[in-house]
Amino acid sequence: MNQFAQIMVGGLLQGSVFAIIALGITLVYRVTGIINLAQGGFCILGALTLYTFQVEWSWPLPLAFIAAMAATTAFGVALGAATFVPALSRLPNSSMLMLTAGLLTFIGGLALVVWGSQPFIVPPFSGEQPIAILGVLVPSQGLWIGGIALLIIAGVWYLMARTATGMALITCAENPLAARFMGIDVARLTLFSFGLAALIGGIGGAAVAPIMSLQFDAGGFFTNAGFIAVALGGMSSLGGAIAGGLFLGVAEQLAAGYVSSLFANGLALGLLLVTLLWRPRGFFGGTLRRRDVREEARVYRSVVRFGGRGMVLIGLPLLILLLVLPDFVGGGMLSSLVITFILFIAVLGLDVAMGYAGQVSLGQSGFMAVGGYTAGILAATYDLPPALGILAGMALSLACALSLSLVTMRLQGAYLALATLTFGLLVDSLTVGLVDVTGGPSGLVGIPALSFGPLVIGTPRAMYYFLLVLMAVLVAALLGAMRSGFGRALQAIRADQTAAAALGINVPRHKMAAFAISAVLASLSGSLYAFDFHFLSPDMVATPRSFELIAMLIIGGEGTLIGGLPGAALITLLPTLFQPFAVYKTLAEGALLALTFQYLPDGMLGGLWRLGQWARGLAPARFAPGRAAP
Amino acid sequence: MSDAALEVIGLAKRFGGVQAVADLSFTVPAGGIAALIGPNGAGKTTLFNLVTNLFPADAGEVRFLGTSLRGRGPSDIAALGLLRTFQTARIFPGMNVLENVMAGAHRQIRHGAAAQMLWLPGARHEEAALRRRAADLLDLVGLAGLRDQPAASLPMGAQKMVEVCRAFMARPRLLLLDEPAAGLNDSETAELAALLRAVCDSGVTIMVVEHNMSLVMDIADQVIVLDLGRLLAQGTPRDIQRDPRVIEAYLGVAT
Repeated sequence: MNQFAQIMVGGLLQGSVFAIIALGITLVYRVTGIINLAQGGFCILGALTLYTFQVEWSWPLPLAFIAAMAATTAFGVALGAATFVPALSRLPNSSMLMLTAGLLTFIGGLALVVWGSQPFIVPPFSGEQPIAILGVLVPSQGLWIGGIALLIIAGVWYLMARTATGMALITCAENPLAARFMGIDVARLTLFSFGLAALIGGIGGAAVAPIMSLQFDAGGFFTNAGFIAVALGGMSSLGGAIAGGLFLGVAEQLAAGYVSSLFANGLALGLLLVTLLWRPRGFFGGTLRRRDVREEARVYRSVVRFGGRGMVLIGLPLLILLLVLPDFVGGGMLSSLVITFILFIAVLGLDVAMGYAGQVSLGQSGFMAVGGYTAGILAATYDLPPALGILAGMALSLACALSLSLVTMRLQGAYLALATLTFGLLVDSLTVGLVDVTGGPSGLVGIPALSFGPLVIGTPRAMYYFLLVLMAVLVAALLGAMRSGFGRALQAIRADQTAAAALGINVPRHKMAAFAISAVLASLSGSLYAFDFHFLSPDMVATPRSFELIAMLIIGGEGTLIGGLPGAALITLLPTLFQPFAVYKTLAEGALLALTFQYLPDGMLGGLWRLGQWARGLAPARFAPGRAAP
Repeated sequence: MSDAALEVIGLAKRFGGVQAVADLSFTVPAGGIAALIGPNGAGKTTLFNLVTNLFPADAGEVRFLGTSLRGRGPSDIAALGLLRTFQTARIFPGMNVLENVMAGAHRQIRHGAAAQMLWLPGARHEEAALRRRAADLLDLVGLAGLRDQPAASLPMGAQKMVEVCRAFMARPRLLLLDEPAAGLNDSETAELAALLRAVCDSGVTIMVVEHNMSLVMDIADQVIVLDLGRLLAQGTPRDIQRDPRVIEAYLGVAT
């Protein structure tokens, strides 16, 4: 009984933190219809700035707390004003989601640069001594967390229900256009909600910092927990977000307490999928429609797609360059090129799902891990041929992808994307936790070199040429499909699902196929990664990798198939060329992703192509029925 | 078998306090062009959305060539040969004009994604044939010169024409067109009328929502008049023009 009470207390504490994060996500979602993945990043910022002010600079707690929250909010507002708000009027929802993923990466990278990679812990606000309430020991920080959560809830409730600003926020959510006609400055209010969400996130992070050690990359965990809480409670209901957060916290602690902490992560994914299947509106169904009204009005992001001639024009010189390149570069560079190629295969899959079908996948690293560990374990532990391991990994990834998409495909909005994020985090925890199978945090060792029967691909040079051929084959195959009926159907779905269905295109099945291709290629990439390194550790295929792959795709150019190659090369090779800058890699990924959306929406390759078109003076012809052919 | 292309039987739909479509029954005979007219808010677009099951009806049933459409999804209905266009042209942005039109033939493609990935000769030939058919169609409607342009860069009138071509590529048996002439100038409207006649003569039944009365009277074999979600009248253009109820409904709105 006492143990149960203890677990319940722990669950409510964790749940309060989840509820605070969920509240921030709901706030931005209500106003913009966007799930802000950067929310967890603000928690980290809040906690780490508090650490600096309180521990490093020895400021008194109240001053340090206020300064930390002010800094986090100011940062959030600046970030929102520079990226989120201006992008909102130009990008479709799927791109906005990726933009916020970029912001999360950016915040993580910034934290890495400023605070380093070690975890931090802040002293509890009022001493270490736990307090006994009715025989149950509650850490004193727990009372702080509960109190802060109640204050935030009351504050947000008051703002939404009792103030003119709250009314204006609700108007923005219901109909932004009407709000503008009524003289409401929608952009400013959006920024206000974004900044407020940053403040709420920061407070949540600071409150939890004394009982949870936090490091730069914990943002994804918080975002995920907050999103699942929101999905459980109902996307647009503030009460639902709070209830969802508390429920998730208690459920996870119960699972961790009575089964294992691994099960707790699986439970989160299970809860999400069951909720989406059984009660897609959440348990406290919001009043707003789940279908986002803004989607129709938002300008569709154009994608530069190369014709056959363009592909040859770019592909052929590139292929020749890549064929002779190994003779001109050193060993370190060659290894980096091999990694570029391997990651490009995962990006290629992402391009089919995102660039063509418009399905955002945030769990690409999860499929890489499935492929890498399946192939690695089969080869290292059971001595099976590598090719068999690769195929087994692909089959397992395919099964995971189909189960995920079966549940989420018929729902509107970002559910698949977020289910994939949850999936990726679940795989993360499995690779770390199943020590007997995966080798745990220290990694899986003794993976042999890639071989096909007697043919062993042992040297970097051999691997390079093997990958070059594999890449060429994969690009050619995908090119065949993407430039034919299948690719057209995917593009039609990306552009307008309703119109696509009205032409007889089976929307769920095509989305599922695109997602399956994406997962299988990620799995292949993960397997090759393991064989190339002869080693695989959880952080090589952890969730930050998913965001990195997205950055590679967007920076290179979506919907171009080969655009991912320059993107992958830029992000992989730069740290090799400039070793001292390696610590800035994550920061640069996030910044480049956000900037690309802002300034080079077609990516490097698309931008180059546009430049070429412009240089050749190809002005668009006008519609002139008078001069029509007879 | 019935010779009706479309049978609407007791269809009803309510949006909140508005009875958009109320106990509506009529039949569109196979062959020919049927025009659906009525004042704004008469329920014309709602009727199209109900027929194609974009949202479910509260009551009633729709039969297409004798087959009930109840419970079938939009893509199933399209597969049966019932195609529609939208009031605001919903061409696919991000694709060029030719690709847009080719996308309409999705259901006829026999070679799957795997065959396309392997560049099988059959798949390439099928693709080339499709491209030719789409190009011919664009040539027919005077859009041949624009086929490589991004479809979203075209003016609304041309986009609507592209959308009609796209639906026609699906080899429909019944084509539902939602205000295809809106936004067209007089010469474009005349071209559209000729196009619709030609499509109809190739054996496709057409049902068209249209506000342009001279176009309706010019091309329609049958006119169906809706008012406040109910059937007001049905008959030949000559009958409808003289029908006192129709005149009253229109004058009531016009003044």
